[in-house]
Amino acid sequence: MKSSKMTKFLSICTLSVVLVAGCSSGSNTDTGTTTDTGAKSASKETKQEIIYASSKDILDMNPHLYSGSMPAQGMVYESLVENTADGIKPLLAESWDISEDGKVYTFHLREGVTFHDGSPFNAEAVKKNMDAVQNNAEKHSWIKLSTKIVSVNVKDEHTVELVLSDTYYPALVELSMTRPYVFISPNDFKNGETKDGVNGFSGTGPYKLVEHKVDQYATFEANESYWGGAPKVKRIISKVLPQGETTFLALQKGEVNMVFTDDRGADSLDVEAMNTLVESGDYQLVRSEPMNTKMIVANSSRAGNPVQETAVREAIWYAIDRDTISEQIFEGTEAPANTLFSSNVNYANVDLKERGYDVEQAVKLLEEAGWTRENSSAVRTKGGKPLAMSLYYDVNSSSQKVQAEFIQHSLKEIGMELELIGEESTSIANRRSTGDYDLLFNQTWGLAYDPQSTISAFTSPSSYLHTTSGIAKADELYQKIEDVMVSTDEETRKSLYADILTVVHDEAVFIPLTNGSVTMVAPKQLQGISFKQTQFELPFERMHFE
Amino acid sequence: MGRYIVRRLLISIPLLLVISFLTFILINLSPHDPAELVLQAQEVPVITEELLVQTREELGLDQPFLVQYIEWAVACLRLDFGESYVTGKPVWSILGPAFFNTLKLTLVSVAVIVLLSIALGVICALREGRLVDKSVRGISFFLTSMPSYWLAALMIWYFSVKLDLLPTSGMDSLASYVLPVIVIAISYAGIYFRFVRSAMISNLNEDYVLYGRACGLPEKKITKHILKNSLQVSVSVFCMAIPIILGSTVVVENVFAWPGLGSLSVKSILSRDFPMIQAYVLVLAVAFVLFNTLSDIINAVINPKLRNDL
Repeated sequence: MKSSKMTKFLSICTLSVVLVAGCSSGSNTDTGTTTDTGAKSASKETKQEIIYASSKDILDMNPHLYSGSMPAQGMVYESLVENTADGIKPLLAESWDISEDGKVYTFHLREGVTFHDGSPFNAEAVKKNMDAVQNNAEKHSWIKLSTKIVSVNVKDEHTVELVLSDTYYPALVELSMTRPYVFISPNDFKNGETKDGVNGFSGTGPYKLVEHKVDQYATFEANESYWGGAPKVKRIISKVLPQGETTFLALQKGEVNMVFTDDRGADSLDVEAMNTLVESGDYQLVRSEPMNTKMIVANSSRAGNPVQETAVREAIWYAIDRDTISEQIFEGTEAPANTLFSSNVNYANVDLKERGYDVEQAVKLLEEAGWTRENSSAVRTKGGKPLAMSLYYDVNSSSQKVQAEFIQHSLKEIGMELELIGEESTSIANRRSTGDYDLLFNQTWGLAYDPQSTISAFTSPSSYLHTTSGIAKADELYQKIEDVMVSTDEETRKSLYADILTVVHDEAVFIPLTNGSVTMVAPKQLQGISFKQTQFELPFERMHFE
Repeated sequence: MGRYIVRRLLISIPLLLVISFLTFILINLSPHDPAELVLQAQEVPVITEELLVQTREELGLDQPFLVQYIEWAVACLRLDFGESYVTGKPVWSILGPAFFNTLKLTLVSVAVIVLLSIALGVICALREGRLVDKSVRGISFFLTSMPSYWLAALMIWYFSVKLDLLPTSGMDSLASYVLPVIVIAISYAGIYFRFVRSAMISNLNEDYVLYGRACGLPEKKITKHILKNSLQVSVSVFCMAIPIILGSTVVVENVFAWPGLGSLSVKSILSRDFPMIQAYVLVLAVAFVLFNTLSDIINAVINPKLRNDL
């Protein structure tokens, strides 16, 4: 009798397990049409596709908001113009005229371009997209163009006019960025807007999103009717692999066959792991030209924290041995950086005070500022307060962790205590925008954005406002940034940039470490690998298998 | 029996109420203004006082505390946990799939843990002090001491890369379960089989065993009785293993890229996504209460004496 009850009970348990398993497979969120072949086709035999590992999901692909993965958005959406090493080039606009006063831009659109859903890309679509972005202007304040656009007017089917309130010299550069001035089919709009989400992700780009399993993978397929010709690599899969060790093993096995520097500038593999993969003969390692400066950002407006003091920030700058970081941690793949922008960046060839690795100077600065070692204690104090700060790093970046430990050790020698806190990149980005940090790892935004956008971002609360607002000359700095963006005279612009760079350099709020580049581990047979001016996108459409 | 189950379930209702209330209070005690968090999450660059007031109104934060709680609790009954501050999507649409993914992994792992623990526990108890007992205990001690992320990496390297038998990560097929389940099972079974073993050993010395032997019952039958009596402690332990594992898979999920609760909860905590954290805590708390109740019911099925305890 009893045993029959037991049997009943066990069978109920088993049944519920089966039910739960059944339910949950149905509750996965799918986007778009489902293809029969998922990420399962990831095997060594099918080499004709790219499966790249990413530490996080592609998230929201809405190109007019900021949470989505930029490399993924870059495949699907396009802008009017493209930023290349030789300057601004046509993309969705074949040509353009600029009025004499520099306030009216007339774009002649490429004809015969369609969105992935088949609807035509025309002047009307351009206007709708631009208006949708402008209707959410407060979110785009980091990109100064958003504050200058007065109206977008349809001239004819393929001509559109952009009217600005002032002359704004980086207008075309900002129109070329991965977001927000890119185009999604107006059929995907919700109530004529994009700010509260979109119904689909039809862009005009070389790839279209066909399947998205949240936190698992996203599949992109070649857009066979792409205006620039169908891409040769027919399928690209972005696979979520949060842990670097697993990524390394999955690459060895061939489950994924590509990994590259992510949009937050972190590499999930260290140099040693990359070299091992190359030695295996299946992979090649490709590096872009130096694109950005990796740095520590100091929160000058952090009340009651030592990091507020210029002397403390300078001491940190002096106490870091960049040569060792470059040689030991990056094995020479990244060069030491001594200024916020390297001198090949536009307007950045400015004479700045040299600050090399000089421990004595660091100690001297601290002593002068009143930070002393009481009773030869390990940590300096001033007025009973210890010289202690926190440094936030990205847990998914193997090199940041090692650098953080190295810097922690270096600073200990000069009597500074550094607490290291590893967090997800989104959380670190959130700290940057809320000002809830002492020090954190960051990087300049890359060739397409430096210096104008990175410098504009000094005044943007979602970027570096907290970093810069605590310095003595903050107001003067912001005024100069305001001026430089609207200046029409090349010489004035040069001198204003020089002043801006001098102020932030003297205040040591951006402590440079190395010049970073985009690193890619790709299958040996993959040809045509190149990079863009922006470190946030890759030109997958130019790649092909041998 | 039916009455026992009903009574047992009724008792858990006040418990759930208390838990939900505590969850709600804890989040409200946090120093952060939820309205400000929402605006920050939406990347609104300049947060003005008017904007804050407006957001508070939208979120119903201007209402009295108790009203807020009751509205939230009633909505929770319909699995409506509000909207995520970060993504703006309904919490359950994100938490639900992650929960079921972790639940699947957990249930399979617990099944393996139960089988392993009972098998090893019985073997060790019957061979107490002998080589088998000692070596099983030694090996399990060794295996449970290994950090699970390290064990996981080793297993992926050996079984997926070297032998090319299993996928390294993901949740694509049944084969994807093998490695994460083994890693979870190793760290728990190594502890749980000791409960079975010690319960068996203490039962071995009971009078009924002596009596049974004296009556000439076959040893197999005696072992069966001992096992049944020993399982009482273990049933609670095994049942509670389910919510415990549900709440502690973050490391394993990270290594195996399993899209589950662990990574979601960490993400939500770091981005201060209050509705998400609240829902997560509540779901886990409910799981604890449910499985605790379940273990009591199973025990009552095995041992009728317990049915009168309530």
